[in-house]
Amino acid sequence: MLQPLPTAAEPTQQVRVRLFASLRDAMGWSEQLVRLETATATPLALWHQLGLGPEHQGPDEPPTEVRVAINQQFAAWDAPLQAGDELAFLPPISGG
Amino acid sequence: MAAPWRSIRLEPEPFEPLQALAAWHAALATALGALPAAESHFIGRVRPSSASGEPLAALELEHYPGMTEAQLQALAQAAAAQHGATAVLVHHRVGRVLPGEPIVLVAVAADRRGPALRCGQELLEALKHEVPFWKREWLADGRSSWVTGNTPL
Repeated sequence: MLQPLPTAAEPTQQVRVRLFASLRDAMGWSEQLVRLETATATPLALWHQLGLGPEHQGPDEPPTEVRVAINQQFAAWDAPLQAGDELAFLPPISGG
Repeated sequence: MAAPWRSIRLEPEPFEPLQALAAWHAALATALGALPAAESHFIGRVRPSSASGEPLAALELEHYPGMTEAQLQALAQAAAAQHGATAVLVHHRVGRVLPGEPIVLVAVAADRRGPALRCGQELLEALKHEVPFWKREWLADGRSSWVTGNTPL
């Protein structure tokens, strides 16, 4: 379910963003490549840039229910993103 | 102390926990010379009703390939190290699981019952909250909804 690229960015300036489960269903996409607009991009900045949060949510507020993984490891909302990273937004987990 | 022996597996098809344990015993006996004195087991099965109490047709288990396996390995390693367990097994279903079918098997082998039981319970709770699995409940009429949390302990 790869989406068309939103920009013609060079691969070296992109991060791969992945959504799962309820978040993917709500947004209608599972994966896209996103160009890093600034040198100091964070998961929270991309969350807002991609319109993933509710409109009433302020730009400094991370969603409480969603967790972040960078390169398949849990990470903080303000962790620095590097070109080539895989960023995933994880809705509430229910294993076992 | 030697690194704990880990058997971590995602099961895309129905599996039989007792067969998995028998194979684990055989492998452990070969590797260790003899089985540890204490062992705990937990088998989780899909319950026949949804969170809202309606009859469940199936449970769908989505996961994050790569991160799921890495997290299971890391959590098993950490729990075994903390409790001094000798060996840990986690088999977890993914995909479509029917009511009554096994969804998770956790087993811990250790020298004493305390570490075996405590390590097993801790690892089970950790994997419910710290491994990227998502459950979706399917009802007989085709409706479905994502489960938003875990059942009480």
